[in-house]
Amino acid sequence: MTKKIFRSILTAGVTVLICSVLLVMGCFYSFFETMQERQLGDELSIAAAAVELDGTVYLEKVKSDRFRVTLIAADGTVLYDTRTDAASMENHLEREEVREAIESGSGISSRYSATLLQKTIYSALRLGDGTVLRISASRATMGALLLGALQPILLVVLLMLGLSGVLASRLSKRIVEPLNALDLEHPLENDAYEELSPLLRRIDRQRRQIDAQLAELRQKTDEFTQITAGMNEGLVLLDDKGVVLSINPAAQMLFGVTGACVGQDFLTVDRERSMSLALRMAMTDGHSEVRAERSGREYQFDLSRIESDGKVVGAVLLAFDMTAQAFAESRRREFTANVSHELKTPLQGIIGSAELLENGMVKSEDIPRFVGHIRAEAQRLVTLIGDIIRLSELDEGGELPAETVELLPLAQEAAENLRTAAEQKNVRITVSGESVSMVGVRRLLYEVIYNLCDNAIKYNVDGGRVELRVAAEGENARLTVRDTGIGIPSEHQGRVFERFYRVDKSHSKESGGTGLGLSIVKHAAAYHHGTVTLKSEVGRGTEITVRLPRGIQEP
Amino acid sequence: MRNKFDEQLSRLNHEMIEMGALCEEVIARASRALTENDKGLAASIAPLDSEIDQKERDIENLCLKLLLQQQPVARDLRQISAALKMITDMERIGDQAEDIAEIIGFLRGHQSEDNDLLREMARATIRMVTESVDAYVKCDTILAEQVIAADDAVDDYFTQVKERLIGRIAQDPAVGEYALDLLMIAKYFERIGDHATNIAEWVIFSVTGVHKGEEK
Repeated sequence: MTKKIFRSILTAGVTVLICSVLLVMGCFYSFFETMQERQLGDELSIAAAAVELDGTVYLEKVKSDRFRVTLIAADGTVLYDTRTDAASMENHLEREEVREAIESGSGISSRYSATLLQKTIYSALRLGDGTVLRISASRATMGALLLGALQPILLVVLLMLGLSGVLASRLSKRIVEPLNALDLEHPLENDAYEELSPLLRRIDRQRRQIDAQLAELRQKTDEFTQITAGMNEGLVLLDDKGVVLSINPAAQMLFGVTGACVGQDFLTVDRERSMSLALRMAMTDGHSEVRAERSGREYQFDLSRIESDGKVVGAVLLAFDMTAQAFAESRRREFTANVSHELKTPLQGIIGSAELLENGMVKSEDIPRFVGHIRAEAQRLVTLIGDIIRLSELDEGGELPAETVELLPLAQEAAENLRTAAEQKNVRITVSGESVSMVGVRRLLYEVIYNLCDNAIKYNVDGGRVELRVAAEGENARLTVRDTGIGIPSEHQGRVFERFYRVDKSHSKESGGTGLGLSIVKHAAAYHHGTVTLKSEVGRGTEITVRLPRGIQEP
Repeated sequence: MRNKFDEQLSRLNHEMIEMGALCEEVIARASRALTENDKGLAASIAPLDSEIDQKERDIENLCLKLLLQQQPVARDLRQISAALKMITDMERIGDQAEDIAEIIGFLRGHQSEDNDLLREMARATIRMVTESVDAYVKCDTILAEQVIAADDAVDDYFTQVKERLIGRIAQDPAVGEYALDLLMIAKYFERIGDHATNIAEWVIFSVTGVHKGEEK
């Protein structure tokens, strides 16, 4: 800016200088010219008068550097010259002033010297005898004058340069300083020169617009952050080069990083190969999935490319915690395998016996034993399928008819039904306790008591005891089944309620269980919002306590 | 100009991390193949190793291009020269993992209690490699120092494995070949530990400008 101002000041100054110099020169020069011509004319007339009187004698007396006087005959021959020898000079008839003088009595002309720096003025007059007297004087031309004035002019130019520089810098400072001091936060409160107010008003308008947009943007970012912060799923946004744009707290925890990784390559967050490959695939194919373990949990990562106007602008990564699902899946697989195995075992026995019978390989007296075997296995199958159906009923979680049930008679009924089985194993079963009634599903409660007692008998020792006690315990009804059996080792105690789980891995048939009994107990208790606790010691026996809310107020 | 330089530098960083991740993967596979005696897994190591070799060449080219075209100075120069040194170590890790995989092929399903110690050793080595790459990613000199310190533990493991194998051969000279194979594997793990130490040292150099080796 300073430079521009400087240049304009300088241009103005120089223009004015040139104009004034030219004007002054022009005026003065013409003035001097007329003056000189007039002077020359006067001198010529004096000289002419003298020459007419004295002839060339007078001329010889003239000694002047400034003037040159020449006497020319009517035929142009130079008769005398104050500077040069007249004889050596050429004929002057053709000179303009001489010719003019011969024709009209007087003549005047001017000629430039070779260098143009000097101009000679000739003035001629015809004398009485026909000769022509010419006087000439030289004087500096305009160019010479200018040349002479060059030094002062240069001085003035220098002065101008300096002055323009100082003025320009001062002016630009005066213009710029208030601009720099502007308070852009509050544009309208500035005290600047008035030419600035349109600009200030515009700035104010723009600032308000920016504020509004910023607020809107911030609100949107806040919304986004809040939504993603509340998500259980991990969410990572990446740009097209794989740089992290945003990562929510769930994802930060999952990858074990902090928010500081925003703006960094995603590789610094997770560099495992399967993930890099999945990301690359998502960028090329649009979508990819990868299942991997991170910080001890299993995750499913869904990666999708984000496009805008047909251009890839980035990718989004969503992480779902699949740990529970993976566990459930493995449980389901185990259950299916168990069910198939359990169903197949009795069937193989049946098929084997049937084949022997079919081929007539069985002696007639053995036939009843084989048929009995087939029947027993089929019975086992039916029991097993019955158990599975009951379990799936409980799994379905449908409402079953509830009624008021007296627990003690129910316990006695179950014990009575198991009496034969108990006697076979030489186990004594006793039922004791008080009369307790509760609201519940009679069939399920019966299943609970029956299965607990059944287990207690099955896994008992010869001559053992099973004690079944029913008691009220505040709001709950308590059922306790204690046996003197083989007990459950502590490492298995947590898992015996799982379906088909057996302490004895050989799945031996001799105990005759389906592996579903305790599972049914657990589900039936859960259906009544009750709890099951287990206390057991190997070789000493097991005590299982079921606590069920009675669901009725004591009268 | 500067923009392009930054872009190339971040590409170098990207490639370095990828190469580090490849090294982690390859040694993890080697160790798993050893403990589970999985020949298929062992066979999958060779293609990964050639991928590591390819990465080394790519990074080398990129580094040379950066050095020639951009004439980096100070920290950038250190980062690039450290990268040039690190890829050599990473490439060696890949080779040694492949060597381990090759030996696994000769083990013919032997399993013994020596594997437990070897497994411990492999775990310690994998941790060193992972942490050295982590140190590079995070420019973390403290972690790099930890890696350097952890090398002593791996060296100890090697001595233990060696002594146990000597004992085994003394008991039953017939296991000689098998024991020597295991010794070779242990040696390779020990070497991998050394390479991880080198990487950690170069990480320290690239951050501080002082190489561990020249301090003393």
